[in-house]
Amino acid sequence: MQNSIPVSDDRHHKPASPPASAGRKAAGRALVMLASLGFLLVLLIQLLHATGTIATGFSDWRPILIAYLLWAIAFGIGQVLTRGERGQRALFLLPAVFFTVAVVIFPTIFGIYIASLDWNLSSIEGPRFSGFDNIRGMLNDAYYWNALGNMIFYGVAVLGEYAIAFGLALLLSAEIRGRKFFRVVFLLPMMLSPVAVSWMIGKSLLEYRFGPAATLARYLGWENPAFFASPWMARLSIQAMDAWVSIPFIMIILLAGLQAMPREVQEAAKVDGANGWQSFWHVTFPIMLPVSITVLIIRLIFKLKLADIVINVTAGGPGGATDTISSFIYRVYRDRSNVGYGTALAMVYLLMIIVLLTVLLRLSKRWTQKVV
Amino acid sequence: MKQHDHQLRPNRRTVLKGAASAAALGTSGALGTFSDAAFAQANLRAQITQIPGIGKGAPTDADWQKVGELCLGPTKASVKEGEFKGVELSFMGLNNQNLHNLLFRGFLKPWEAYTGAKISWIDLAQADYNPRLQQAIATGTVDFDILEMGAPFEGDVCGKGLASEMPDWVKKQIDYDDYVDYLKPPVGTWGGKTYRVTIDGDCHNFNYRTDVFADAALAKAWKDAGNSGEWGVPRTWQQVQAVTKFLKGKKIKNQNAFGYLDAPKPWGGFGFYFLASRASAYAKHPEDKAWLFDVDTMKPRINNPAWVRAIQDVIDALPFEPADQLNADPNTTGFQQFLAGIGSMIPWWGDIGQVAKASDTSVIGDIVGFDILPGSEDVYNSKTGKWDKLGSGPNFAPNCAYLGWGVYVMARVNGDEKKHKAAWSAAAHLGGKDLSLWMVMYPSGFQAHRLSHFQFDEWTAAGYDKKYITSYLNSQLASYNHPNRAVEPRIPGIFQYYSIAEDELTKIFAGKVDAQTGANNIAAAWEKLTDQIGRERQIGLYKASLGA
Repeated sequence: MQNSIPVSDDRHHKPASPPASAGRKAAGRALVMLASLGFLLVLLIQLLHATGTIATGFSDWRPILIAYLLWAIAFGIGQVLTRGERGQRALFLLPAVFFTVAVVIFPTIFGIYIASLDWNLSSIEGPRFSGFDNIRGMLNDAYYWNALGNMIFYGVAVLGEYAIAFGLALLLSAEIRGRKFFRVVFLLPMMLSPVAVSWMIGKSLLEYRFGPAATLARYLGWENPAFFASPWMARLSIQAMDAWVSIPFIMIILLAGLQAMPREVQEAAKVDGANGWQSFWHVTFPIMLPVSITVLIIRLIFKLKLADIVINVTAGGPGGATDTISSFIYRVYRDRSNVGYGTALAMVYLLMIIVLLTVLLRLSKRWTQKVV
Repeated sequence: MKQHDHQLRPNRRTVLKGAASAAALGTSGALGTFSDAAFAQANLRAQITQIPGIGKGAPTDADWQKVGELCLGPTKASVKEGEFKGVELSFMGLNNQNLHNLLFRGFLKPWEAYTGAKISWIDLAQADYNPRLQQAIATGTVDFDILEMGAPFEGDVCGKGLASEMPDWVKKQIDYDDYVDYLKPPVGTWGGKTYRVTIDGDCHNFNYRTDVFADAALAKAWKDAGNSGEWGVPRTWQQVQAVTKFLKGKKIKNQNAFGYLDAPKPWGGFGFYFLASRASAYAKHPEDKAWLFDVDTMKPRINNPAWVRAIQDVIDALPFEPADQLNADPNTTGFQQFLAGIGSMIPWWGDIGQVAKASDTSVIGDIVGFDILPGSEDVYNSKTGKWDKLGSGPNFAPNCAYLGWGVYVMARVNGDEKKHKAAWSAAAHLGGKDLSLWMVMYPSGFQAHRLSHFQFDEWTAAGYDKKYITSYLNSQLASYNHPNRAVEPRIPGIFQYYSIAEDELTKIFAGKVDAQTGANNIAAAWEKLTDQIGRERQIGLYKASLGA
């Protein structure tokens, strides 16, 4: 990082404020202390009330949120009072930190707590602490592992989507007639909601009785064009629908990469006598590798969340052939009100995704470094 | 749009009907004692059932509003105009098939205009209903004052003190005693208190295509194939299986003929009822009230020979059903297949009969016949572990699935007298005796549930064919009154049991596990769930629901 150059213009330069006086510092510390104690007291009262230890308390948790906001404001003021200009600078960062704590860190920790509960919404006793029972249950849950197996299929299929998208991106980057028109047309599926796609394609176009695709298939000689009746056919049909929605996204990123690629490199390859395939494989593809890996990882993240199309079209069937982790968690949580177990499944899946992506990012760093 | 300005002029049919009634009364000398109120009510019922008239297209919002306004009499008798001004009520219900809440809106618009209350609506799809309700209960975030709910959830809601007890004036207004016997207490009650305004009576009846079973060519082919007995509507599940296998590859009106339609795809737990309908004749023994769990232990019976036989029947029948049947849920079998002319037999609630005749969405029209669910030549006796052949013939056990929808008022209105009265007034309006007749006659999502709904003449006067409606109503009445009816257990979390079963059943039907292994898996998961919810409490509630 470069050192900042001293600014000589008086209009932009403000001398550092004098160090905070001892009185201000003490006032700042006292404010933070008081605010923290107040917040903790309110939190403690509500926790004791919620657990039935004391009768006094709030009817809901909204006052805790207000107390948190007040504490955050007091903390910011305290920073300014105790640290002077450094405290002022911290004010630029603190709102983001507090926001992240409130909507990411706290829910994650709370989620881990929920994951350790035996909590069925129909149980009159309510939630009970069960330690690692949910994780042990998951290890023996054939539905979870089946869904994970399906996720491997869906994950690998991203490579196929990438190959098609690359082909389309090459096509659209070439000097073809109607290029702009095709760019817009190819992007249309991405603009559709997967739920709309489920109904328009899964439940209408591919419908066995009256769907145009089924009618065409019959015309072409497929006697019983049932797209969701056999496990592999159903899996492929779901994958095809999801690919149709997502390929334009991969394509547009790759297209941007192709257009940013210097023409001279391609021309040099031509001058050296490389044919089309050699030019692509030895020049274009390696140069596009950083873009490719970025788009593949983003697409994989999206793919690991696949649920909507599955829920709407097959409900995970036939026999779990199309089930995904997300659609399974959805059933556990929604249809069976099994909050503790559903949260545990989601937490483990989150952990798996973090590990997988960390490994992939490290590997991709190595690959791209080699290329560059 | 408000419907204040409509004028319902009596048509020729109602005039003649009224004149004939008056003449009959005159000749019997009873005219002098005939009360004006009764005459007015009879006239009102004749009026509303002509809106829009059977066979005159599907009813619209304007029709619902007209009916709602005409049925305001009981409300006007108990509530002053504008009495609930300033009261805001929240109503949570379904929007299945664009019915339920959509009708309620229309019915309640005139009520809102008269009373001054305002209603906001929470519309839910069938599959979203259970989780939304469970979350509201568990998290203490009940954000609705009036709830459309099925009796199976009474354990979850009334058992936790979340519902408001029905006042006596409501009981009187809705004529509580008019309900058919099987919907009287304990249904709608909890701990001896009454909570529910019943607006629906549920059972699965057997819907079949009359043209298929009257087709001479098929009858000949049936004989030629060496089948025993005459070609006709199956009376037992054994016959259903035989007919389904026979019809594969046959034609009816130049279209592929199919027999029974199973619904293997999960449907938020509700799909389990369709296996239960296949199983009830095998599993519900006349000498045993229980059929889903052992009554003293809650040990599941889903893996006993009766249920496994029903599951095996589905496995055996699926190759003879349409090629994509594995991906068909009950909504598909009922509305996209059977009513569209595909398949010749399905079990369903009363919606099929209403929609077939009174909706534009039906292709088949009135070539539908109805009966109670098929029986079985033998029935499994869980106590002896043997199959019994009854001296009286096949065992019939109509599946009283879901026990119908009701309107419940939540306890959160109890603290506000005005709101409490307003909520109960709205519920009583929806569950009113005359309004209910219209609801069960036209597509609404609700079927006959009052003794007064079984006056066949009212149906024929509205435009139903006598033979058709006699078959339809008799199938329901016979199911409700059947001594061996299989009754839904009103225990908390019942749809969790069903949902778990659906997941395993889809594996069985896809051939991943055999019927017995899959059934064992369901039983194991149900045991775990019972322990999680609380076994002792479940046993108590199960016993209570069976009256054991």
